[in-house]
Amino acid sequence: MSTAFALSGVTKRYENFALRDIDLSMPEGQVMGLVGVNGAGKTTLLRILGGLALADTGTVEVLGHDMPAQQVAAKSDLGFATEDMRLFKTRTLRWHMDFVRSIYPGWDEVYAADLLRRFDLRAEQRLAGFSHGQRVKALLMLNFARRPKLLLLDEPTTGLDPVARDEVLEALADVLRDEARSVLFSSHNTKDIEQMADTITFVHNGTLLASRDKESFLDDWRRVICHGSWVPDKAAWPEIAAVRQNGSIVELKVRQFSAGLLERMQTQGAEIRSADPMNLEDIFVTTVRAGGAA
Amino acid sequence: MNRSPLNWPVIRLLVAKDWQLFQQQLAACVFGGIVALCLIGMATGWSFYLGSLLLIVMLVCTSCFSISNSLLVERKEHTLAFVMSLPVTPLDYYLSKLIGNLVTFLVPFLAMLAGTVLVILYTPLPDGLVVLSLLIFGHVLLAYAVSLSVAMAVESEGWNIFAMIASMLLINPLIMLLGQIPAINDHVKADTIYFAPVAVAILLAQATLSVVVLAATGWVHCRKKSFY
Repeated sequence: MSTAFALSGVTKRYENFALRDIDLSMPEGQVMGLVGVNGAGKTTLLRILGGLALADTGTVEVLGHDMPAQQVAAKSDLGFATEDMRLFKTRTLRWHMDFVRSIYPGWDEVYAADLLRRFDLRAEQRLAGFSHGQRVKALLMLNFARRPKLLLLDEPTTGLDPVARDEVLEALADVLRDEARSVLFSSHNTKDIEQMADTITFVHNGTLLASRDKESFLDDWRRVICHGSWVPDKAAWPEIAAVRQNGSIVELKVRQFSAGLLERMQTQGAEIRSADPMNLEDIFVTTVRAGGAA
Repeated sequence: MNRSPLNWPVIRLLVAKDWQLFQQQLAACVFGGIVALCLIGMATGWSFYLGSLLLIVMLVCTSCFSISNSLLVERKEHTLAFVMSLPVTPLDYYLSKLIGNLVTFLVPFLAMLAGTVLVILYTPLPDGLVVLSLLIFGHVLLAYAVSLSVAMAVESEGWNIFAMIASMLLINPLIMLLGQIPAINDHVKADTIYFAPVAVAILLAQATLSVVVLAATGWVHCRKKSFY
């Protein structure tokens, strides 16, 4: 299976931030969600893939093309939208549609018209009169309608009201029905990522903490509630990422859950009350606070 | 590893885009230039000085609007990221900006230059003024090239404004300096056009420097590592 993108040994330094030694790849047809706090390096990673920033070291390949040397070929099949990207406010959306259509031969006018209707956008309106939500939807529409093979989306749902967010996620789900298309998107909203992504990647302080398929990720983590006086030493129990004691109740967040682990805990005197799956947000917060490994 | 060839169709579209975004201010500048030339053409003392001042103001406006619209506003309003996400290389972008700016600036600049020469030749104004006018237009061209280069190479808005204002304000000392050169000043009020060797040398220096500054900027721009 060919890769939508591959990063190897990528480093990018700024004055107060550095993306370090990134090795990451995604097969075509996949959806990868990037999770990280503000300033973690998600946007820098997306900019490097989109050709807007050059890596200091390492190799970058997008849709089989070396970046930046073959960026025109790569960008021809790439859709890229970031939260801070803006359109020309003195021009209408129709002007932008005509502009983008003249550059991308794959522009689908019927699909564009459908997206206009679904996003409740008026093509003849100048961008200066658009709200934040309308601007985001306009930018996504211009990206979706060119039918890119790889979509790079940075915080596509940030700042949207619930209705607009739902419209955007629905349109994104439509894009994902085509198995040849790949999407890499970042979001603060882990629910969106949990809902859409096949693979989840955690980024923190410019490094990758983890990158795995969603199902195994969620399967591995458990929130275990025990009763008793036993409190594990985390150094002796590497499977346990976090421990919180409240009286005789001990809450454990486990990163490598197995039935054998429960048995071992019981032999230490722990009385297991429950072992529940965790949501992505909880997993991410626990991973970051535990210092890295997921 | 094959490097991307220049993407001329997209470069053409980007130039056309800049032209469309600038055309209203461009029309206003050309209109102002025509009014200035009418005043100069009246060939009376007050109208000549008023017209000359207005013409220089219009040239400065054309220069500043052209650079501001296509580069500074694009960076400030985050439309640069949108443009750079299109299938272009930094060199494609540099060329589109260079060509786009030269078109949006040179069209009104050359129109005003031609109008100035024609007004001087076909009104009672002394024909010797043509050389001084060409030297002043040459300075505006050089000042524009410097401002354009700074706008492309330096992201600081403060430095960009400084470059635009400082380079254009140097017109005053230039006029004073040219007035101190007898080979130029002695022929300003003559009825014949005389290109003194020093005038030709200054014109050549202005043109050469303009080209060198723009070429050096292209070299710097293609080595930048961020485009958003």
